[in-house]
Amino acid sequence: MKDYFFQDTIGKPMDRVDGRVKVTGAAKYSAEIELPNMAHGVLVGSTIAKGRIKNIDTKAAERAPGVLAVLHYQNAPKVPGYVQAAHPTEPKPIGQPHRVFYDDKVYFNDQPIALVLADTLERAHYAAKLVKASYEEEKHTTNFAKNTDKAILPTAAKRNPRHGLNDYVRGKEDAYKNEPLKIESEYVIPSEMHNPMELQAIVAHWEADDKLTVYDKTQAVIGTQNAFAREWKIPVENVKVIATYVGGAFGNGLHTWPHETAAIIGAKKLGRPVKLMLTREQMFTMVGYRPHAWQKVGMSATPDGKITAITHEAIGQTSSYEEFTESTLQQTRMMYTSPNVTTRYRILPLDISTPIWMRGPGEATGAFALESALDEMAHVLKIDPLEFRLKNYTERDPEKNLPWSTKFLKEAMLMGAEKIGWSNRPMQPGTLRDGEWQVGYGMGVGTFGAHRGRATVKATLYPDGKVVMQCATTDIGPGTGTAMVQIAADNLGVAPEQITFELGSSLFPPSPSQGGSATVASVGSAVRAASIALKQKLASMATGNADSGFRGAKFEDLTFQNGQVSLNNSPGTKLTYSDILKQQGLPELEVTEESKPGEERQKYSLYSYSVHFAEVKVHPLTGQARVTKMVSCADAGKIVNMKTAGNQMIGGAVGGIGMALTEGAVMDVRFGRYVTKDFAEYHVPVHADTPPVDVIFVDKPDFISTPMGTKGIGEIATIGVAPAIANAIFNATGKRVRELPITPDKLI
Amino acid sequence: MNQFQYVRPTKNKAAIDTVTKDPNATFIAGGTNLLDLMKRGVVMPEKLVDINKLPLRKIEKESGAVRIGALALNGVVAEDKLVLEKHPLLAQALDAGASAQLRNMATVGGNMMQRTRCPYFYDTALPCNKREPGTGCSAIEGYNRMHAIFGFSDKCIATHPSDMGVALAALDATVLVSGPKGDRKIPFVDFHRLPGDTPQIETNLQKGELIVAVDVPENNFAKHAHYLKVRDRASYAFALVSVAAALDIENNTIKDARLAMGGVAHKPWRLTEAEKALVGKPVSEHTFRQAAEVAMRGARAFEHNQYKLKLAPNSIVQALKTAAGLA
Amino acid sequence: MAFEKDCPHALPESSDHKPPHEARRMFLKQSSILTAFALTPGVAVKAADLKFEEKVAAAFEQVKVTLEINGKKHKLSLEPRTTLLDLLRERLQLTGTKKGCDYGQCGACTVHVDGQRVNSCLTLAVMQDGKKVTTIEGLADGDNLHPMQEAFIKHDGFQCGYCTPGQIMSAVACIREGHADSDEEIREYMSGNICRCGAYPNIVNAIKEVKNGGLKV
Repeated sequence: MKDYFFQDTIGKPMDRVDGRVKVTGAAKYSAEIELPNMAHGVLVGSTIAKGRIKNIDTKAAERAPGVLAVLHYQNAPKVPGYVQAAHPTEPKPIGQPHRVFYDDKVYFNDQPIALVLADTLERAHYAAKLVKASYEEEKHTTNFAKNTDKAILPTAAKRNPRHGLNDYVRGKEDAYKNEPLKIESEYVIPSEMHNPMELQAIVAHWEADDKLTVYDKTQAVIGTQNAFAREWKIPVENVKVIATYVGGAFGNGLHTWPHETAAIIGAKKLGRPVKLMLTREQMFTMVGYRPHAWQKVGMSATPDGKITAITHEAIGQTSSYEEFTESTLQQTRMMYTSPNVTTRYRILPLDISTPIWMRGPGEATGAFALESALDEMAHVLKIDPLEFRLKNYTERDPEKNLPWSTKFLKEAMLMGAEKIGWSNRPMQPGTLRDGEWQVGYGMGVGTFGAHRGRATVKATLYPDGKVVMQCATTDIGPGTGTAMVQIAADNLGVAPEQITFELGSSLFPPSPSQGGSATVASVGSAVRAASIALKQKLASMATGNADSGFRGAKFEDLTFQNGQVSLNNSPGTKLTYSDILKQQGLPELEVTEESKPGEERQKYSLYSYSVHFAEVKVHPLTGQARVTKMVSCADAGKIVNMKTAGNQMIGGAVGGIGMALTEGAVMDVRFGRYVTKDFAEYHVPVHADTPPVDVIFVDKPDFISTPMGTKGIGEIATIGVAPAIANAIFNATGKRVRELPITPDKLI
Repeated sequence: MNQFQYVRPTKNKAAIDTVTKDPNATFIAGGTNLLDLMKRGVVMPEKLVDINKLPLRKIEKESGAVRIGALALNGVVAEDKLVLEKHPLLAQALDAGASAQLRNMATVGGNMMQRTRCPYFYDTALPCNKREPGTGCSAIEGYNRMHAIFGFSDKCIATHPSDMGVALAALDATVLVSGPKGDRKIPFVDFHRLPGDTPQIETNLQKGELIVAVDVPENNFAKHAHYLKVRDRASYAFALVSVAAALDIENNTIKDARLAMGGVAHKPWRLTEAEKALVGKPVSEHTFRQAAEVAMRGARAFEHNQYKLKLAPNSIVQALKTAAGLA
Repeated sequence: MAFEKDCPHALPESSDHKPPHEARRMFLKQSSILTAFALTPGVAVKAADLKFEEKVAAAFEQVKVTLEINGKKHKLSLEPRTTLLDLLRERLQLTGTKKGCDYGQCGACTVHVDGQRVNSCLTLAVMQDGKKVTTIEGLADGDNLHPMQEAFIKHDGFQCGYCTPGQIMSAVACIREGHADSDEEIREYMSGNICRCGAYPNIVNAIKEVKNGGLKV
């Protein structure tokens, strides 16, 4: 059979299918669902980091007008699925999310300790201010820097010696130490908050005692459904999760959080739907973050620029009740040809809330250290950093000892260098000026596994030629629906205007969570499978019909295009899909197809790659740093939609600008409480911080990755951006800043 | 927000009377800071006296000054022809503040009355002498990166966040006030207070007193004025340090100078000694550096704002260079 | 005292979108102590907080407000503490205007009041009495999108879409104000609208196209 998927639509910069609803304000996000008799919930947070609640005084709140209930650990309806460790002396199980209102224990500052339910939002907010708790405070540990000696190997690694989080040694351990030409540097990133524009929100509605519907901000419709079914010990099919529009998430929708369960508890108690939207402050404490991390890189090289050894160590913080881990050191293991590589990953449990993957998760953290160190090494060697990277380029995965499925990073590097004007980069830092401003150029490489999961898509063709496809994936912003329509259009031979892709409901066939840059790979492959299955059904109907000219024709003999099937060798012999359905008297034609990654993938190493180039200007007197130009290049396989994919790359670059220059959550470790917890204190980039971003795609398909040839984009868009900017600042000023963000105080 | 009563008088006197008589009443104009504080439970007035119907919006020439009504919007003042012509420094400072939306809401009087951005002031769970006198200052030994290097006390090290105020301090502005005891004028530099033992009292306004206008006197600084704001991102952020610099230059010699800083003290910080150090001197980076050194006398930093000891003088030099046309 | 609107404690009225409880209304109709309370409204607020007499107190919480929103007149009874944003989203179901921070720090709630862009989260609905409010729902001309909406689609000026209504309302104002003459000026005057997805360059391109197209905004 002939594949038609690059035919008309895939690769085109098609407008978003949900553009109109988004620009008119018609798209309804979770908190915008209106149900009859809905109550409003507002959470009250603890004001200590560790200890026990001695007393919780809710009288004033309960007396306030409009208040329906104030729930806390003493009076909240019990969640049947909350289970305790088998015996109090046994260690807590790994990966236990915080159990809201479970007992009097406080594990982190601003932990939800009460839920105020009222008839209006204003009344709920006010009454929440009236709830007062007293505590038996215990000594908390929240100072990361002072406790790095308490970092531990993750339990998952301890239990399984083959686990990827274990220490890794290729060649000789810590070989750089004995080499003459080496660097050794420590790097720190602060905790960074996802801070999507939409505040985390849920509407919880018990439609019956054992039937729950939630309109919830999540990246995992099915995961959330399963989690709540477990919590409430009700059948999975009794839980309905709706997330039609998600106002950004960047990873914090990959976990279920205490506020969600709190709203469900509230709805249970009241017997009415409850809407709960977090405040911006609560977004810093209740829905995860990119963990504060310390890293150390030692690197050695030969005088002519061959890396001889790398050692990369990392410590990331986690909570006391849940071990959060990420792949901080992965890029170090596979990106460069070094014969000796050592990595050690540790986590540091603190009395704070649990982190969660934030865009380009651990890899972005790791790449900041690795790609900065590379720049430092190149400087020591007096070699151009681009040349240095090319000298240590790998044509085979040195970690897994497998061939790459595809790798066009070198091409991306060369295209990007040309576009940014890399030849303008001075070898000697601090020598290029534009008026008063110091000018510099830097680069950083990023990589992320080209993942693919198992997904199922239902496709229905109607006699009017329209097609509806459904899958329980979400669209947090990349344009999932749009990409799926394009894949369906080309694989089905139907114009995109005729196709609707429905997502964001647990009533639809299952999909993995929207994380790890895998949605197009997983769901897109299922869309393609469903399209093909639909065509096969159409073919068998057409060829099975004695009256038609198709009789006896094989599937391979047919062309599917423009909503009609025709014979390859007799294009005049054709039938529209509508006609086929009408001939059969079918009101609709439906298929449901699952698609999953195949064995072929085991024979290769699969990654997406990016390389980012930054031009910066730094004012030497005031320390202000501006990114004046960015070029972001991706080797991410075949690009389905140049417009939305380009936008995603731009967004990753902007996220990287924030990581490099402006973002960092500061905790006052005396209280274990954040002091930067709104947009005035935690600075995400604004328009004025953002230069034009040139995006370049290599756009070469990787058919090992998916049948469409795609690889993921979301993570690599931001991985490597922060070091590109830090390296550019070094080039501009001669100042090497190893602790992010690089604010003006660090550059004067 | 707590419940409160809301009234909207149309006469100054009615507004003043209401706030004078009711201990828990307060004026609201733009509301851009007050409502923010009320949402967080930092302040909980029982009565809001909306003054937006009062006739206090005019911008006009008045006895050798530009008189700006207290309710003139920040965005309107920043683009007013008279202001742009006579006091471009003020327009620049206003444009450097907040966002276009907030400037469309915030008034000149409200800008003066805005509270500090010290994070401890905003978090009702933590001690703060300004919010709850006697509870202690969390910033002194805490996260004090944004805090004062001049004029602080052992009770409070917060800074005043206004940009507009820095320009008004430099430009010898006068605040016109109307109150239960009649009208009076307060030099802008005396309008705000240093924290001392009473950081909760931020201005010298008496209970019930209403700002009606601010006068900015004529000067010769329009040609050489610059407002420099250094912040953690390129726009829409409070100042780490800001400088209002205005020079009267003749034959490359500084005839007169005005200089004030923001982000360094509990009030917009006028630098009169540094101004004196500039007068009579030739326009040069050397002159500016010397003045900056004078300006920094008496500065003292805390754990996280040490950088201001360098950033502040650097910013003074840069602002003066730009004002003088050297940058 | 000469107050223009010196009655901050008007009765709830039936045109109210979410009428207060019937019990309250009945009580108020019958109550003869209303006048007494009207003279000393401070008592009512305190009574509400202490729930001494919630039925009385609740009545005093309401203020009459008339607003023209997207060309439609709304007569409302509101608690004075209701922000314009919460009125739009929670009472009138005009959820196109978004809550991103509630502190005037993100711009997602941007609407036009009498043609000027403002943050609807930082103003009380009662303060806008008698004014004309335009939200994203009122920008298009029926089924015909506003040129800025068209340009946002064409230039892909958004991803998740949550900041988009605020960006568009702000962008329209940015051109009307005359602050869209260069990329740099657009960036500065749009900096009050945060887009965490980072679609900024595309937004700038959309604004430029509308500005250069010379279409009426």
